[in-house]
Amino acid sequence: MRPQSRLPLAFSIAKSDEARNEDSFHRTAKGVYALSDGASVSFDSASWARILVRRYARKPEFTREWLAAAIAEFRKLYDRDSLPWMQQASFDRGSFASLLGVRVVDAGRLIQVLSVGDSLAVLCDGDCIKATFPLSDASEFSQSPQLLCTNPAQNVFLDKMDLDYDLVADWTFRGLAQPALLCMTDALGHWLLSQRDRGRSPIGVLRKVRTPEAFARFVREERAAGHMKRDDTTLIALW
Amino acid sequence: MPYQAEISRENPTCFLFVIDQSGSMDEITETGRSKADFVADVLNKTLYTLVTSCSKADGVRNYFDVGVIAYCGSEVASGFGGALSGGIVHPISAISEHTLRIEERQKKVDDGAGGIIELKTKFPIWFDPKSIGGTPMRAALSKTRETVADWCEAHPGSYPPTVLHVTDGQSTDGAPDDVADGLRQIATKDGQALLFNLHVTTAGGLEIVFPTNETELGDEFSRLLFRMSSPLPLHLAKLAGDKGYAIADGSRGFIFNGDPQCVVDFFEIGTRPKLVADR
Repeated sequence: MRPQSRLPLAFSIAKSDEARNEDSFHRTAKGVYALSDGASVSFDSASWARILVRRYARKPEFTREWLAAAIAEFRKLYDRDSLPWMQQASFDRGSFASLLGVRVVDAGRLIQVLSVGDSLAVLCDGDCIKATFPLSDASEFSQSPQLLCTNPAQNVFLDKMDLDYDLVADWTFRGLAQPALLCMTDALGHWLLSQRDRGRSPIGVLRKVRTPEAFARFVREERAAGHMKRDDTTLIALW
Repeated sequence: MPYQAEISRENPTCFLFVIDQSGSMDEITETGRSKADFVADVLNKTLYTLVTSCSKADGVRNYFDVGVIAYCGSEVASGFGGALSGGIVHPISAISEHTLRIEERQKKVDDGAGGIIELKTKFPIWFDPKSIGGTPMRAALSKTRETVADWCEAHPGSYPPTVLHVTDGQSTDGAPDDVADGLRQIATKDGQALLFNLHVTTAGGLEIVFPTNETELGDEFSRLLFRMSSPLPLHLAKLAGDKGYAIADGSRGFIFNGDPQCVVDFFEIGTRPKLVADR
């Protein structure tokens, strides 16, 4: 177990120097962390991702009412009727983003993970991966994830789910000698599970990344080597 | 593996719509509208969807180049009017900026609280129906082949062009199959150009969708269109299967005697390349 007052490390890098980073993350001193991966091929996923993580950090729950309030906040950013037709159509179609939220309670006695989409949470003991959520295999990243959308009609997949069960994992640091918790967007999640499957030690690699510069260097090297997809990449690490 | 290239602004792909506007396209379909009117409507909706999928709050991203080749009588020309009529293929941002007009329509949408509300929506029109004269299919496909060749030369690393050809009749300027064969042999590093053919009809009768062979096709014209059509790449075959069509290994991008829903699905399936980068 560990004191939970300090903030975890967090780094994010855009897919390219010219592109806007559409990932977003937020951390609080109360042990609530959130990240979101905005889908580029949608109207304004960066703003949507930012709203999701801020709202989760402020109110770490996920209900239909919570989502409706987040959508309402997003819709206030634009005057739909005054948009040019192509932007109005794209606004109506919706903006899409994942949401990964973590609540660390009582210094790790309980770690509650919420995930919609393909952002990945990882529980570690030393360099050993003890659990991942919501995906467990690198091949799962090739499937189109279901993401939260500003168009309510695109969120109907949630109607078939028990939001307190299907989207949540409960973990603990208890019994772990060297516990750590990582949250990451899909490019890094795919890299991590692929490296694990090749018998390498991705946790050991990430443990050495302690500064934004080191994170940027690590991501660029892995992209250049063809090991990591060129995408916005974000890591929250509670070592 | 072909057809794997990620589509990005640096490596866009190309959609070419080749539309028969011959006199017989004025026949009335089961929707109560002429074939020409119905096809124009589906084409406008397809262009709308393509533009929408590239539109963000800060502008339209050029993931696609798009062209329309229309043919009738002795004429083969750009199907676009106004500022777009001078060339065949245009970046999607130019398509978005140069409509013929914007209509206002109503659409019903989920209000997020279990209800349905009606929203006023701006709907752009690029392509008006027309039906006159003969069917110069050979000349149209020759123009298409030339356009595809130029595009592939300029975009060697891109997902190859997809050609969606819509016709209701036989060519009146000679058999087009050798031209179609040549078109399908043009390639980028990611694969050969795709040619999909749609036969629209008012006749009713047997509908043949994404067949694997010619045996059920009743006349030489339909067999010709079958032979002119590319096999569906795996990702498009899966999409067609997801829509409920019976797909087998070797299914070709060809629909004969397609009903209105087939026309809609043909356009939707044909304009879905596998990977758009930066999802």
